[in-house]
Amino acid sequence: MLAPAPVSAASSALLAAKDSASQPLLGVMEKELGRAKTELGKLDPAPYFLSYSVSDHELVNVAASQGALLNSTVLHVRYGAVHTRIGTDKLDNTHDENRGSGIESSLLPLGDDRDALSRVLWKLTFEGYRKAQRAYLNVKTQTAVRAKEDDTSPDFSEETPQTSVSAPAAPLAIDVKGWEEQARRYSAILKKYPEVEESYVNFSAQQSNLYLVSSEGSRVVTPSTMLRLVIYASTHAEDGMDLMRVETFQATTAERLPGEAEVAAKIEKMAVDIQRLKAAPVTEPATVPVLLSGRAAAVFFHEVLGHRLEGHRQRDEKEGQTFTKKVGQPVLPEFLSVADDPTQKELNGVELAGYYAFDDEGMPGSRVELIEHGTLKNFLMSRMPINHFAKSNGHGRAQAALMPTGRQGNLMVTSTHTVKDAEMRQQLLDEVKKQGKPYGLYFEDIQGGFTLTTRFTPQAFQILPVMVWKVHPDGKPDELVRGVDIVGTPIAALNRILVTGDTEQVFNGICGAESGSVPVSASAPSMLFSEIEVQKRGHQRMRPPLLPPPGFDKDDAKAVGQ
Amino acid sequence: MRRFLLLAVLLCASCFAQDGAKSANDPILGAMLAELQRSKAKLKLADVDAPYYIEYRISDVDEFKVETVFGELRLQNRNHGRLLRVVVRVGNYKQDSYIGMGEGMTNVAVVDDDLAALRNELWLNTDRAYKMASEALTQKQAALKQLTVEIPVDDFAKAPAVESVQALARLEVTPQDWVETLRAASALYLRDALLQDFEASADFSATNRYLVNTEGTIVRDGKALYNVHVSGNTQAADGMRLNRGWSSVSAAAGELPGRAKILEQTDKVIAGLKELREAPMADEDYRGPVLFAPAAAENVIDGLVSNNIVGRKPQLGAPARTTGAWSAEYKSRVLPDFFSVKDDPTLTSFQGRSLIGSYAVDDDGVKAQVVSVVEKGKLVNFLMGRAPIRDFPESNGHGRAALGQSPEPAPGTLRVESSEPLPPAELKKKLIELAKQHDQKYGYFVESLGGDLSPQVLRRVWVSDGHEELVRGGLFGELDTRSLRSDIVAAGDDLKVSNRAESIPNTIINPSILFDELQVKRVEASKEKLPEYPAPPLGGSGP
Repeated sequence: MLAPAPVSAASSALLAAKDSASQPLLGVMEKELGRAKTELGKLDPAPYFLSYSVSDHELVNVAASQGALLNSTVLHVRYGAVHTRIGTDKLDNTHDENRGSGIESSLLPLGDDRDALSRVLWKLTFEGYRKAQRAYLNVKTQTAVRAKEDDTSPDFSEETPQTSVSAPAAPLAIDVKGWEEQARRYSAILKKYPEVEESYVNFSAQQSNLYLVSSEGSRVVTPSTMLRLVIYASTHAEDGMDLMRVETFQATTAERLPGEAEVAAKIEKMAVDIQRLKAAPVTEPATVPVLLSGRAAAVFFHEVLGHRLEGHRQRDEKEGQTFTKKVGQPVLPEFLSVADDPTQKELNGVELAGYYAFDDEGMPGSRVELIEHGTLKNFLMSRMPINHFAKSNGHGRAQAALMPTGRQGNLMVTSTHTVKDAEMRQQLLDEVKKQGKPYGLYFEDIQGGFTLTTRFTPQAFQILPVMVWKVHPDGKPDELVRGVDIVGTPIAALNRILVTGDTEQVFNGICGAESGSVPVSASAPSMLFSEIEVQKRGHQRMRPPLLPPPGFDKDDAKAVGQ
Repeated sequence: MRRFLLLAVLLCASCFAQDGAKSANDPILGAMLAELQRSKAKLKLADVDAPYYIEYRISDVDEFKVETVFGELRLQNRNHGRLLRVVVRVGNYKQDSYIGMGEGMTNVAVVDDDLAALRNELWLNTDRAYKMASEALTQKQAALKQLTVEIPVDDFAKAPAVESVQALARLEVTPQDWVETLRAASALYLRDALLQDFEASADFSATNRYLVNTEGTIVRDGKALYNVHVSGNTQAADGMRLNRGWSSVSAAAGELPGRAKILEQTDKVIAGLKELREAPMADEDYRGPVLFAPAAAENVIDGLVSNNIVGRKPQLGAPARTTGAWSAEYKSRVLPDFFSVKDDPTLTSFQGRSLIGSYAVDDDGVKAQVVSVVEKGKLVNFLMGRAPIRDFPESNGHGRAALGQSPEPAPGTLRVESSEPLPPAELKKKLIELAKQHDQKYGYFVESLGGDLSPQVLRRVWVSDGHEELVRGGLFGELDTRSLRSDIVAAGDDLKVSNRAESIPNTIINPSILFDELQVKRVEASKEKLPEYPAPPLGGSGP
């Protein structure tokens, strides 16, 4: 039950007629693309590649705070994008900083009216052609003027056209009123805690049907559904440090979201965490053994490793290019392997947010062994080739209306050197004693760039350890500390992993980068690092609120007379 | 002393409690007053002054939006949201913290009438606004030490408290009817295969405003806004892009055009685009009389008058009275001496039409006032909010805010009139006479303007027999405030109401305006290319 099976090219013409009847939008896209290919083909320069992609989204968003609704919206939108490439696959208008010239997009009409749809596509097409044409002139000039690039790979990979037309997803059936009530109830839990400052609960659902046709002959329709529940709470310590807790849940159906009791318990724990964090001492500079929970390790790998394995970064000379020239070399301890497998729907009973059958360039999602037994093997490839990697491996991803780049789907870290999860704490203590350190640190939760959307998004690559415990070898109870910051580049720590636990934990989230926000997951077992150097993180000095919350002000009840 | 202060606080608390009782059945006002009172009584950082002024504004917006293109729905959305704005001022009326980060906080607020949740949001935002205001004041005082201020002006004008709790506005809309009507309108594109874009949309909203401050102002009122819009574009055979549109904006659902009217106006837009496409180009050079129809004159007033009659505090330390082209023209002539300009937000209807620029209390909580700005062509006043400028120490009720933004001085309903109005027919006659005097074969009549004051519908009126001929590609050479002062020779008696659904809704009422000499050039911008290939043939038809 993975990707819909590709159909052979011979039977595709027959199928095309059939799909077009049942899926008018696809029919219009094909017909208009055919016209564009013929007509623009007569021009000089003529595009060597054209594709239309349409993403039809049904969206529901319900947010509440302090027991009251903030917002509840239901929206249907359809984005249309035309991809135009002029020149040759060796050098085209999308080269280097001109990449954005490969796409032109706008909102499309929502119905099936052929005249309306084709007219909007037509306009997008000639506008896209003009943009690509101007950019191509620039590219030719720049190439003539500038020094030769390190990576002289072509701009576009040659690929086999794909045909896979799934039935579009049925409309979302969300009980919006039910969600509103639930969001009120969940958010009301945090009212009990005066330490919680800002907080909200956000339910969202997105039902998407992606349609893609290309001048190479690809025809792909893929449905996808994602429901998400995010709970956020924040506070300030007395010294002004901002502290936060976030919980996210993700599923493909409302039934698969966790039940009320489970969510309520998580929210109560968040509130207790907030209370504890607020009272916790600030971390002191130290170089000590560190244990990461599976979820913390997953976020760590997504941010510090996954992003650096995105293909396009190996080519962009403005990037750090940590791994560009390390293929075939050891980059992790030999017992660790890392793959990205968008074809996997679940792991240990948890649905994976990074599942997809086809990527946003119409290439089938496929499992990629990025690091095998510690040795770097591959990158996350879109159709933008890099040295030694000429083909896409189905990781060209983008938010609607943006140019796809190599992105993560389901990043999976596995280990062959494991102990039982229950023994990991003892491993940490043993390491602490061995090194003669006063304590070790347990990172229960790390916040990364991909946990949050909208307002509070930290940058990609950034990691913020939020729940960190001092673990003492002498049997003293664990002690929560706040403000932990990893010194230097966290990537240096990857080679100091000693041993891992034996079950992978999953973190689902939305990852934001150049090509926009895409759903991803990361999974990893818990991990013991021989040492990580930490320091206190810099922070703003905004003091906690001067007055108690309105419901907690003793004089207030009298004064207001309520 | 301390006891006295406490007493004052308690007295004031009881006064608020009373006010609260008046609007006791409004939970939003209740929450705002309760938290305002608590903050006023208690909010204080050690070693920093307590706030001398706190203001809360909640805007509750219920919005309905439909966009159709080529007969199909593109977007349909109903959204209910609330924005909360909190301003805390530290210092005093002479010098305070209202600058940069001290200009307040805006946040989304809960849409449920939940007193506790609303108060919680007010509490957090007040706290933050106070801390930022304190920092802003320190920074400002440091900056002021570097500057010499010759004539100091107060930072904040005192204003009497206003109490005005009015009925709430409700959105009256039948969504499906509007979707159908607008689809039918934008489907009329089928009549002209050369239309490249054709859209019909509606944007309706009911905005209820709640405003309270520590001076005792309590305001609640509601406004509805109904905006229907049709627009299209095409290209002439030589590539020139041509736009036309029609819109209806009103404050009352009852004034909304019916389906037949919308379709009729849509037809006119399509016919107009075809007519434009076939029209000859304007001549290369023309210097002579130009008559602006009221709809075109409205854009001239908006572009050259509205922005120059507001008293906007210049940058810290800058010597100017205000910003804008007329900052040095106080008591000077800026328009011909038969012209007057006044802003009258208290006017609720004109010629039977509702005015969206009308309001009773501005967003600073000051009662709206009629302000005569230009008398006999002379600039005699500025529209003022509560930020004083030199010689204008008080507000005249024109502090107006876009949704969630800070108030700024802005017109409400601007009336531009001539003391010697002429009927439109007389103006046309006069246009021809002036053209003769200029040795021109025709004079220009502008029916409507697009962006940047460039003509959308421009006609030649021939001296020989008075017939009118549409041209395209005309562009004004020097339509500016100087020409307003020197080149206007007459205005009409044909006052027209234009409701303008901008971020700060406003209305302009104005007549035709005749200039005796303006330059009209032919556009020289490189012509846009025609589409690389023809539009898809129509009648691929329907789903």
